[in-house]
Amino acid sequence: MLIVIPELDEEQVENTVGRFRTVIERTGGEVGEVNNWGRRKLAYEIDKRADGFYYVMQFTAGERTLPELKRILRVSDDVLRNMVVKLPPTYANRPLPEPETAEVSG
Amino acid sequence: MGGRRRSGPSRRERPVKSKPCVFHKENIAYVDYKDYNMLRKFVSDRGKIRARRVTGLCPQHQREAAVAIKRAREMALLPYVVGR
Repeated sequence: MLIVIPELDEEQVENTVGRFRTVIERTGGEVGEVNNWGRRKLAYEIDKRADGFYYVMQFTAGERTLPELKRILRVSDDVLRNMVVKLPPTYANRPLPEPETAEVSG
Repeated sequence: MGGRRRSGPSRRERPVKSKPCVFHKENIAYVDYKDYNMLRKFVSDRGKIRARRVTGLCPQHQREAAVAIKRAREMALLPYVVGR
């Protein structure tokens, strides 16, 4: 899961996320489901920002995927937060309650 | 002492826990940090994680719920503190 800064527009966000997709695929991983939660309010301010674009990607990782992906996530200025979580093998894709999208201006 | 679920005056014996853990009941194997609305049931209105005796979770799921709440906090899905 990652949070992209709210200053970008949808297209730029897609580009940013696409970059990580390439990283995963280039290092021998495979991207599964990608969920765009859209622009959401943050539970607390991060770097003076009250909202951000949430993305959830499911992927498998090759040997080099994680160090490389984490490194790139860390140096990406347009990523506010990121978290890589190992899912249990039994993980079922339960539909989550539709996240409320923050109606924010500017 | 307004003991909940105290079964009668037998103070020696442990009170019978009538409610099983909700995760067992609903057969949820993985406590997902992304399901923050569900996790909200396990934090106080101040944002603190509720004690096991309040949540009624089994040890395994209480632990998993705590981890999930902490992950959700990190991703700003849940607050660390509410107010102040």
